[in-house]
Amino acid sequence: MADTQWPRFMVFERDQPDHPWKHNGSVHAPDLEMALLNARDVFSRRPEQAGMFVVPMAAILTQTREQLAENPLVVKKLQEGQASSASSSLPYMIFAKTFEQGPCEYVAEISAESPEAALAVAIATTAVKNPLWWWAFAASTVLASDAADAESMFAPARKKSYKSSNEYPVVTMMRQIRAKGKLED
Amino acid sequence: MYGADVEQVAIELNEDPQKLADFEARIARGEKIEPGDWMPAEYRRQLIRMISQHAHSEVVGMLPEGAWITRAPNLRRKLILLAKVQDEAGHGQYLYHAAETLGATREEMLDALLTGKAKYSSIFNYPTLNWTDIGTIGWLVDGAAILNQTMLARCSYGPYSRAMVRICMEENFHKKQGQEMVIRYSQGSARQRQMIQDAITRWWWPTLMMFGPHDADSPNSGVLIRWGIKTRTNDELRQDFINQLVPDLQACGIQLPDPDLRYDEQSGNWQIGEIDWDEFWRVIKGDGPMNAERMAARRKAHDDGLWVREALSAYAEKHSPLN
Repeated sequence: MADTQWPRFMVFERDQPDHPWKHNGSVHAPDLEMALLNARDVFSRRPEQAGMFVVPMAAILTQTREQLAENPLVVKKLQEGQASSASSSLPYMIFAKTFEQGPCEYVAEISAESPEAALAVAIATTAVKNPLWWWAFAASTVLASDAADAESMFAPARKKSYKSSNEYPVVTMMRQIRAKGKLED
Repeated sequence: MYGADVEQVAIELNEDPQKLADFEARIARGEKIEPGDWMPAEYRRQLIRMISQHAHSEVVGMLPEGAWITRAPNLRRKLILLAKVQDEAGHGQYLYHAAETLGATREEMLDALLTGKAKYSSIFNYPTLNWTDIGTIGWLVDGAAILNQTMLARCSYGPYSRAMVRICMEENFHKKQGQEMVIRYSQGSARQRQMIQDAITRWWWPTLMMFGPHDADSPNSGVLIRWGIKTRTNDELRQDFINQLVPDLQACGIQLPDPDLRYDEQSGNWQIGEIDWDEFWRVIKGDGPMNAERMAARRKAHDDGLWVREALSAYAEKHSPLN
């Protein structure tokens, strides 16, 4: 059997229960459950986190600013979506990266027939204008951490103060050595 | 290192001149290039090469320090070292992710590492011989890495730049815990002072080599600087590092193993003797003190993990909603 590193899953987090979800990175895993566990190991080493979810890469529709400018596929899909009935619609989560240094952040949950149609609605109706890129994926493809597990998943990182560079007073120590030729203890 | 650059490449650009001009104008305006945007094939290739090499360095970098986790002298030092090694694993993951946004697959990258096709920082091919090597790696090796990575945080490719911002923040803890250790040992007992002197003597030159060849011998620098992947040269970064470290190490009473080291009043720079480039190229080409051992350890970890990957795959298949 050829060795595999499995598919990729995108990882999202929020730092407070009432804060918006933000994209954090990706992990590889055989399934959603392992993806969430791997995400915890890779991304919860530093505070503050209050929740996390994973979604298969393959389930995400991406449209970059450049792609939308060159190929307004989404607008076309919107027209198609409006023409058909809304009976088979599903909730889709919409994310956007609006500026370079900021995260790719939650925008809205929109019910639609396809990720393209959901994205078209988001482009037409939300306050987000011309972001660097959009992501849309069905809410059903997500596995989120249980609120009841938040303490065991995220609290330990808060107690590890030795992971902060402020814990090491090296500037003061160097000053003592230069002034007195030794450390004050 | 940690993103340093040692491979010879020939640059050939067969790109649409208009697209190339637009791309270079974006970089000139300080815009970040994002996944999915048009980019020259050579830009993509150089980035995949650098980022995956950087990721491999983080992963292999766990080995020299990991060797001391069981031998840490007290619980506090053990906790710090565990957290640091765990951070390096995480940094490897952030970087593989950044390379994947360019279309590289995890399988290809791991295969390149395990078959010895890919490079990683030469610094990890040196052994950690006494406990104070751990502090020395933190202050010197992570300190050098931070300088390089602070530059790369301004890189024109968005995902690499953002991975660097995050990594630098965490690496500051690595550097400072190392510096604190070196300072304490340098002010400690005669035995401790002798240990830290021994560690710095062994790590000084290999750390200076981490910045890569002199600018004149660095074949990638031109294209990397033209496209905003790098914004400073190997020699500039190396000089900054030397200027930062020499006065502090000397204040700690530590001797540097360089009889030619002197302060140049005119330039305000500490000037070093010549680096042993034969040693540098020997280590890069696989003949350093620990190359074989590091690769053997990586391959063993990969092979030993096979049953876990198989078990997880089998579990996932059994529980798949498709079955």
